[in-house]
Formats: sequence, structure tokens, C-alpha cells
Amino acid sequence: MTETNLTVAVIDPSRARAAILEEGLRAAGVGRVVVLPDTADLTERVTALKPDVVVIHLESPSRDILEQMSGVSRQVERPVAMFVDRSDTTMMQAAVDAGISAYVVDGLRAERIKSILDIAILRFNAFARLQRELSEARGELADRKLIERAKGILMSLKGLSEDEAYKQLRRKAMNEKRKIADIARAIVTTADLLG
Amino acid sequence: MRLQLGYVPLCDAAPLIVAHEFGFARAEGLDLDLSAEPSWATLRDRLALGHLDGAHMLAPLALASRFALSGPPSDLIVPLQLSRDGNAITLSHGLWAEMEPAGTTLDAIARAFARVAQVRREAGRPLTLGTVHPFSCHTYQLRLFAEAGGLDPSAFRTVVVPPQHSVEALARNLVDGFCAGAPWNAVAAAAGHGHVAVLGSLLAPDAPEKVLAVSERLDGALPPLIRAVARAGRWCADPDNRTELVHRLIRRNYLDLDATLVGAAFAQDASAETTAGVHLRFGAAIQEPDLRCGRWILRQMRLSQQIAAPDVQDAGVATVFRPDLYRHATTDL
Repeated sequence: MTETNLTVAVIDPSRARAAILEEGLRAAGVGRVVVLPDTADLTERVTALKPDVVVIHLESPSRDILEQMSGVSRQVERPVAMFVDRSDTTMMQAAVDAGISAYVVDGLRAERIKSILDIAILRFNAFARLQRELSEARGELADRKLIERAKGILMSLKGLSEDEAYKQLRRKAMNEKRKIADIARAIVTTADLLG
Repeated sequence: MRLQLGYVPLCDAAPLIVAHEFGFARAEGLDLDLSAEPSWATLRDRLALGHLDGAHMLAPLALASRFALSGPPSDLIVPLQLSRDGNAITLSHGLWAEMEPAGTTLDAIARAFARVAQVRREAGRPLTLGTVHPFSCHTYQLRLFAEAGGLDPSAFRTVVVPPQHSVEALARNLVDGFCAGAPWNAVAAAAGHGHVAVLGSLLAPDAPEKVLAVSERLDGALPPLIRAVARAGRWCADPDNRTELVHRLIRRNYLDLDATLVGAAFAQDASAETTAGVHLRFGAAIQEPDLRCGRWILRQMRLSQQIAAPDVQDAGVATVFRPDLYRHATTDL
């Protein structure tokens, strides 16, 4: 796609996510990509920028500002409209699932906005996946730390070796059909309370 | 049965919150998952696409969604009116001082506003007023306010101010005033940035403010949902429950605001300055969807040039506003 003459505005409460989309649109050849802050003066900023397309995350409270700038209101120089493709509900679902809505200036052809939406969907989904992996990794790290502490407590209280302490934790978890980290958390909490 | 319901954090979302928090939903065999939505547009889209089963919604937006005037195609129906009235117009202290209204009546205030708005337009610096969404009673109340003073509504600019931006927008002079629902007028006044000038009920008495909008596909879950929300709304209308209601609404997962500010929405005698009129109303007297209200909304859409005369016929209202479903579900309440 070479859309060197297009200006796309990106509005997203998450700056990291906005940056990822900005980069994706640039890589696809969009001429001008501008990330706008999600602030009270958004109307003025959009009016000044005169974008062809505004991609805004569903989490942004500023969406209603764009709706006011649309054709249903008077006094708007270049009315924008939410992009709704009634012939393609799958696309609509995919966009909303990914957290995207797009507003286009009247007259922009559907195929041009669609390629921008495709990029936005891919980028936002990739971002969501990264976030999920990161939070899982954080969870695993936290679990490992808990298990280490619980092992330490068992070792000093019962005079066990590290290996024996771990085996006790694992056996307890298996008997109670719970995760080792849950057993470890119980031990650590109890030790905190009693210690 | 589990239902996913959306709302925008405002005082008039109370019947949904109370249905969930005080056991009215459980009593009907329903489990409600309530989600606070960041904007009306997002609430509308998630409802139209089936991510939500139902929602607390601006009455004009429900009609606009169903009539393909706003957002993706939808099959929304309105089986219950959640609230009436409750909006107000707050003006900046600067504008209010410039207006110097001759009295406290709507007529005096609207004429004083019209005079300043006219001067500002001629000076090339038109006033800017905020609403919450184009398809809202707020938008129509701003227009009616202009007309009450004999002013052409195009004499000022209308922009949307998301509620959480309203205080900042006034403080930074981005707007000269706004029309919003509770608690945002009280919040702006308490922050020292605005004066509550006119209650919405003076401009449009009994305005159909928020409705329960649901997908037509809801089917078997609908009667219990109507009953749960109807009973919750009646509970909200009882003055004896006011303190408990306010304390539940101010929790962090709901409005997350000061009790005094939220409480002001329910006190009929609060802010006795110039703000005469009716405050937010819930309860049995207002819950049945009223076709006359639906037609009133269509007339406002036309007068605000949001639709042309033949776009939507009055008869279409009866496919969305469904008093029959309300009556059928609530006969034994």
C-alpha cells in the first residue's frame, strides 16, 4: 500500500499501543501519521490537523467528540463519519474485538480505509498478545518467588533439604488438586501471620 | 442466566447498579455482569454487535442506533424507561457574570444568554457549549435554551465534552458551558468553575433521559430483566433508600466520586439558587416506555437537522419503544 498523500490521526489512551500502530502505518507507506493526546482540546487538534482518517481506540472517552464532528451536526467544515461497512459484519466484529473504531472524512473510498483498518487490527491484536504474554510471564515469576520462600520456610522449620521441601509442596498440591504456587502462598501467608 | 450489561458511570445508571447490588436480579434468577463503558459510542457499538446484552442508554441514541443513523446496524428495543429529567446547563462564571440576567426565571436567563451569544457571534468569537453526544436530550436542551431566549441555535458552537473532561474544559475556557447529567453539574459547581444556570426539566419537561436498551434476541431473559430493573428503579425512587443508594453509587467501581456531589442529584431542594425545576426521576411513574416520548425525540432530531422529514416515520417508534413488553412483564409487581 502506498498512501503517501493520506493523513491518519491515532488516538489511544495507551501511548505504547498508539506508538505500535503509528509505526505499522508508517511502514505501510501512509504519508503522515500523527498521534493525538486524549485531552479536552481534541476538537481543536483534529480541526487543525485535518486528517483523512482518525483511528481511535474503543477505550478512549473522546470517541463521542468525534461523533459530534460528524455529519449529523451542523457547523462542521469537514464532517467525519464513523466507518461502518454494512456489507462486511465480520470486518466490523474483528475491528471491535481488537478495540478499534475509525472515522473517515466524507468521500474517502472504502478500500482505502479498509487497508488501514487491517493494519490497525493486526497491530492492536499483536499488542494485546504481547501484554497477555507479559502478564503471564510476570505471574510465573511471582509464583516462582513464592515457591522459593515457601521452600525456605519448610527447610528452616522442619530441617528439610531443598529437594525434600519441594517434594512436600508438590505432594500436598497433588493431594489437594491445587497448584504448587497456591500451597506455597498459604505457607507464606501463615508464616507471615505467625512470625 | 448470565447477562452482560453496559452503563456509563452517571447517577441515572442507578437502577442497573441497584438491580445487581441489592439482589433484585438474583431474585429473578439473573446474574448481571455490569461493565462501565468509556463512551456512548463504544456502548452503542458493543450493544449493536452483541458484546452486550443490554445497556443504560441515551433515549435518542437508542432510536438512532436502531434507525441506522448512528453506528453499526442494530436490533435494539426499549422495554423500560430508566429515568426522566436530571440534566442541567452549567455556565462558566465569566459568562454568567457577563449575562447579568434580570431575574431567576428561565425567560430572564435565556434572554441574557441570547444577548451575550449574539454579541460574541458578531465579534467573531462565538460561544462554545458542550453536550454529551449528538443523539442526546442534552443536545436538544441546548437548542431549546437558545430558542427560549429568541436566539438562532447556530449562533454558538456545540462540541462534545466527555463528562470526566467537563471541569477541565470549563477551567481552561475550552467551553463557555455545557449540558450534562448528574453528577457533573454539581462537580463543576463544587470545583468553582461553573454556575448551574438552568435545569433541563424547564426546557423539556419529562424528557425521556435514559432507557434500558436490549437486543431483540434477548427473548426469555427479557421478562426477568424488566422485572429486576423495574423493582430496582422503584427502590431508587424511595427517599428512604437515598443514603444507601448514594453510598453504593460512590464506590470506586461505579461513580468513584464524593457522596455530597452524587447526593445533590437526588435532593429536590438542593442548590436553591436559580435552579428551580425537577431533578432526576426514577420509579413506577416513569418506567413504561412512552410512544409520545419517542415521537418527541424524532421531532427534536428533525428540528436539530439530524434527520430530514422522510428519513424516519413516527410509526417506526413503535418498533423500538415497547410498552407492551413492560406491561406484560410487570403486571404482578
